[in-house]
Amino acid sequence: MFAEESPDWNLDLTGSAICEMCGDEPATVHLLRVVDGTVSHTHLCPGCAESVAEETDGLALVLAVPSVLRDLSKGQVHLDDETEPTAPSDQDALFCAVCGTTLSDLKESGLVGCARCYQIFAEYLESALAGESEPVEHPGKIPQRGPETDNLRHEIMRLQRMLRELVACERFEEAAGVRDRLTELGERLEEEPE
Amino acid sequence: MNSAGLTASGLGLTRNESGRRFPHAEDVAALEELRAEVVETLGGPGWDREWHVYDLDALARVEIDRLVERGLMTPVFAERPGVGRGFAVYGEGEASLEINGADHLRLLGFRGGSQLPALWSLLSRLDDHLEAMFSYAFDPRWGYLSARPRQAGSGMRAYATLHLPAMALTGRLAGTALELAGKGLALVPLWTGAGGMVQVSNLGSQGKSENEIIQQISSICHGIVEKERSIRKMLLRENPLQTRDQIGRALGVGQHAWTVSFPEAVNLVSAVQVGVDLGLVEAPGMAAESAFGLMSRLQPAHIVVDYMDGKIGCLQSPEIDECRAQLLRGIFAGAGALV
Repeated sequence: MFAEESPDWNLDLTGSAICEMCGDEPATVHLLRVVDGTVSHTHLCPGCAESVAEETDGLALVLAVPSVLRDLSKGQVHLDDETEPTAPSDQDALFCAVCGTTLSDLKESGLVGCARCYQIFAEYLESALAGESEPVEHPGKIPQRGPETDNLRHEIMRLQRMLRELVACERFEEAAGVRDRLTELGERLEEEPE
Repeated sequence: MNSAGLTASGLGLTRNESGRRFPHAEDVAALEELRAEVVETLGGPGWDREWHVYDLDALARVEIDRLVERGLMTPVFAERPGVGRGFAVYGEGEASLEINGADHLRLLGFRGGSQLPALWSLLSRLDDHLEAMFSYAFDPRWGYLSARPRQAGSGMRAYATLHLPAMALTGRLAGTALELAGKGLALVPLWTGAGGMVQVSNLGSQGKSENEIIQQISSICHGIVEKERSIRKMLLRENPLQTRDQIGRALGVGQHAWTVSFPEAVNLVSAVQVGVDLGLVEAPGMAAESAFGLMSRLQPAHIVVDYMDGKIGCLQSPEIDECRAQLLRGIFAGAGALV
């Protein structure tokens, strides 16, 4: 069977972003402890988590870090930023006309209501979910019957990534070939009707 | 069979239809309409195996629990109230489909052994077939869209079940879980960690292809399993008396107990399997199936449906523990220590 899901983490974790043990450092680790079949959850900083891990000789002590919490520690979601206004900002007033989801809803529940939300809240989602350096892009399977432009954009993103890797490895001849292909696809994309 | 390996594999594939809001934001009529369309598609031509569609409202609690225990339904879907939900099983349980859970569609596959690539191959084929009927919500930048942005991307979550009793006993799961967390993977206990059973899965599905996710989990789990093997050998080398004692006691309880709870049964089977792996005991009754397969059929709803004719509605009934003990006595009959 599938194990029980860990609690569904919200994007906005103001109340639980501080280590429950030392009370100083940001909590980037979710500690799930199972002792005699009883499950408990705590939020810790990496330092406290390591000390707990070393001291534990129990049968089951398991930890997991939601990526969102890791992002908090990187400062990508500025929960502790003193300059962040506490009153609703213009950003917070953002809402999706298709499903009615507001940025506040998203921050509170961690859920978006429809596909359109990904465009409306793109800036917030990128800051909350993107990796440190790599831009968000989808390298896996794509729908077979998606619009031609989707396939083109996907191929362009794939080639852009390949180009960066080739340049990093100083394989410039191959990179030039990829660049030419990118130019060609870019022109095709411009010709596509929206 | 040596159990110090990947004992079971699971895969979930999340998809949403582009024309509708995600389930928590959609109205009842639209969700019901989607369910009807999906059910019609499942009953249509072109599938290699038949889909069996369940009426969730008509299912007894024990039947739902058995679906969860088989890995056909996720615990969170089983517990989620909501309208427009649907559920179907493909073939004899090779795959299943949750309709209108957190997302419109979630294809699932679960089977014993190291089977992640095979599961992906099957689910991808089923996904292709569904896509012929439904236009998926997809963005070249974000991938397959989900109500939970962290799950957007490939939409795939891969689960590897591991049997790590020696690592649990020596308190090494915590450090391993920390290490995995740094790589974007979760390590959570299965069956509240009884018998050292844990599940490793990817927390997000962005920025990696499906094959990369499977490769990462397989490779990391291989390393963990190797560590478990070496710790088992170390335990026997450095604490031979205690190791033999633990395994012998488990065998004794399994052979003579008259009531056994599920967590206790998992602990017993786990310890005896370690004894078999280390060449300390022989258990002919366990030769025909994996320890995980045995543990699975000792789960409460399995016992009620498979051995008690489904007559008991309450899964906490003492009769279930009694039946489980009887099964264990049969399985461990003829087992003994190799001197």
